[in-house]
Amino acid sequence: MTTIMNRPASAPGSAAGRKPLIERLNIVTAFLLGTVSAVVVWQLALKFMPETPETSLFFNREDKISLLSLIAWFVGFMTGIGALNGPIRWAMGKDLSHSENMFLAGKDQGIKRYFRYTTDHKVVGIQYLVTTIIIFFVGGTLAMLIRTNLGHPSGGWIHPQAYNAIVGWHGIVMIVATIIMVTGPFGNFIMPIMIGARDMAFPRLNALSFWLIVAAIPPIFISFFTGGITTGWTAYNPLASQAGLGMNGYIAFICIFAISTMVAGANITTTVIKMRAKGMTWNRTPIFIYGVVASVALALPAFPVFFLSQIMSGLDRAFATSFYNSAGGGSGWLYENLFWIMGHPEVYVILLPAIAALMEMAPVFTRRPLFGFNLAVLGIAGICGLSILVWAHHMYISGWAPLLNAPFMLTTELISIPTGMLFLVLVGTLWRGRLWMTVPLMSIFALLWNFMIGGITGIYLSDVPADAFLHGSMYVTAHFHYTLMGAGLTGAIASLVYWFPKMTGRMLDKKLSWISFWMVQIGFNVAFMGMFMVGLAGQPRRVESYAAMFSRGNLITTIGAYTIMIGMLVLLHGVISSWRSGQKAPMNPWHAKTLEWTVANPVPLENFDVLPVVTSDAYGYGKAKS
Amino acid sequence: MHKGARMSDLQTPQKAQWWKKADVKKTLLLWVVLTPIIGFVGTEVQVRSMGAPASEVMASVKHLMAVFTWAASPVAALVAALALTSLLNKRHYGDTPPPDADHEIRNSARTASTWIVVSTLLCLFALITGMIVFQKDSEALLDAKAININATGQQWLWSFDYPDSAGVRSADLYLPVDKPVVFHITSVDVKHSFWIVQMGIKMDANPGYITETAVTPNKIGVFDIRCAELCGLLHAYMQTKVHVVSQADYDAWLKNSATLEGAA
Repeated sequence: MTTIMNRPASAPGSAAGRKPLIERLNIVTAFLLGTVSAVVVWQLALKFMPETPETSLFFNREDKISLLSLIAWFVGFMTGIGALNGPIRWAMGKDLSHSENMFLAGKDQGIKRYFRYTTDHKVVGIQYLVTTIIIFFVGGTLAMLIRTNLGHPSGGWIHPQAYNAIVGWHGIVMIVATIIMVTGPFGNFIMPIMIGARDMAFPRLNALSFWLIVAAIPPIFISFFTGGITTGWTAYNPLASQAGLGMNGYIAFICIFAISTMVAGANITTTVIKMRAKGMTWNRTPIFIYGVVASVALALPAFPVFFLSQIMSGLDRAFATSFYNSAGGGSGWLYENLFWIMGHPEVYVILLPAIAALMEMAPVFTRRPLFGFNLAVLGIAGICGLSILVWAHHMYISGWAPLLNAPFMLTTELISIPTGMLFLVLVGTLWRGRLWMTVPLMSIFALLWNFMIGGITGIYLSDVPADAFLHGSMYVTAHFHYTLMGAGLTGAIASLVYWFPKMTGRMLDKKLSWISFWMVQIGFNVAFMGMFMVGLAGQPRRVESYAAMFSRGNLITTIGAYTIMIGMLVLLHGVISSWRSGQKAPMNPWHAKTLEWTVANPVPLENFDVLPVVTSDAYGYGKAKS
Repeated sequence: MHKGARMSDLQTPQKAQWWKKADVKKTLLLWVVLTPIIGFVGTEVQVRSMGAPASEVMASVKHLMAVFTWAASPVAALVAALALTSLLNKRHYGDTPPPDADHEIRNSARTASTWIVVSTLLCLFALITGMIVFQKDSEALLDAKAININATGQQWLWSFDYPDSAGVRSADLYLPVDKPVVFHITSVDVKHSFWIVQMGIKMDANPGYITETAVTPNKIGVFDIRCAELCGLLHAYMQTKVHVVSQADYDAWLKNSATLEGAA
């Protein structure tokens, strides 16, 4: 009774063992506080913000109100999840105690820790994995809507407005899913163990980067129901300033996501530089680590630019500034530049960790050392360096700077050299190996096939005269699906099969993953070969109907897309059923030599009792002929 | 592992010359067979899809696509041959790993340097071939004898002005055959992209700015103009036709349109 008497009066009736505030925050309080803040700010703004004249060209008042509400949602959500606990405590001069830190790490909390601001990198990894799967499910459903609508030239059962919104939504959702698909789940769960660390360098930033993504998702969903992102994922201005309120959701989403990416980038880079195990020199650091670091290091300069471009877009909408409005002295070309300065490094943010993951698996499934480790590092570094100098190849025909087309053509085509090195590393490792026929191994073959097609078509597109024909056609759409999906997603699914035993303690169902692999790969090639052909014949991108001459190619693409869908659903079923009741995995099912396979299943809270000491690299397979 | 590490996988001089090894022979055979197949199929599929050209620009784009495909086919074929040979080699099925490979090759300086040199040369080849065509296309803009056309995009239609015959404006584009044309392109609202499909030219229409592109149509007929930049609700329907006609028909059409405009 005395304890209750000592409590403040505002909390009546609670039992004696009442938990401190810090332990009561979770995803529910986050959504509650976020929604309440957004609604309160929305209502207050509606009441107090002065009306603008009806003749106003832009919906300034509504834009201001919706952007304010989105900011309120964001602040409310992050407070509700507990992101501010640490900073507030610090400001009050009381740091978190040891037991509180253990609580934050998710000690002894079972399933609940996945719904809290938990700092353990393994929890964050699983959170990312599930989130990625959900986002892919949404993006895939949207892709099926698009393909169904395009199954017939006069398909048209989706209204053009809704169709454009679906295209934009599919684009941005898939871009985000592919950005986080390797570095999120595997970069967080596997990477620290692989380098022999007990956690990330900044565990709270790690939780922050994940929960920012969760905070960013509702705005993009709400935007669909308030006019949608009818501009494609590129959100070019001035089309974006013309679009409805849904654009504000896009702006909020990108800003929050960009912060998340920057936070994760700083965290992962620091972790790898400072926390590798004793003896893990750069020459002994697994190639997957290089891929992850290259990816986030590229994101570090790229995403602040994206953030900035959207802030300016928001200002143009809400305050009728003229960053991108040529009538007011601005320029749409400014937006295009900012967007692609982010946009081209971003494709390598997606690709590098996926390819590096496959390079990591190659020696395991060929039982021989990685061929050309230095070449792989050089290739990754070369791609990183060049990829920040190629952005304007997206703008050859924009008319922005015709004299710069030649130099950008040069830098773009130079990227084929480091990319070729990565090809050599992969085929070199397959060469004279003992192939262990598994999904990860076959994914290497699939990547070689798909990325070869994606890469060669990239050369046509990098060529200015050819691009003057191909730009903005379905050919481009097929090309980047070959790279991001055919290469990137293939690598991510291989990573899922490969690391599933360590992350869940169970083996991923072999039969289902094989069925899924073949359906997805065959369906993918059918779908996007058809798309290449209609692109060459002259079908523009992002159209909701097309001339009858394109109908055969589009039908082929739609059939392929349905095959992919079935394959993906089989994989999803495999993941869920194996996670629940799959065969228990041994500690090192693939007999691999990297450090993550030396820890028990499930991985204990701080990974290692005694930190490992590394004396060689992880590729010591094969034996010399005597 | 350190002694063998330096040994080239294509170089075991004590035993047999590297090119006499069974898997090397298999690879070379596959390479020789696959190169023309990939080159032929890749070129045919793409060039056939592109349809008949209606200008030299488009013909050179088609030519470039074929040249690039043939230049890339040995590389694609080599990767495919190496991968296939590996796949046909020693496969192992089961839940436990196969025994380790019988070597521990980590590097081959010769392979790596050859690979880098060849890919650099191919890259330069692509660049130079592209630059030659690019240069020619760019020079066409400066042709003083060219007909000028002002193309204006707006949501969701194109309109064409003929400043050389003041007052004429049309929704379908009319051009005389074999006469160079320079387009001055702009937009009144959002960004569009002016694309004459069969002539292989495309240029964005930006509000507030004028961009230029040039072409010489060399075939009489009706061709497609499409918008190639998402421009809002009816982007898919923002298309029109270009009628390439003889000089006499063109003059007659201009005269006729001018009187119509005057009457209106």
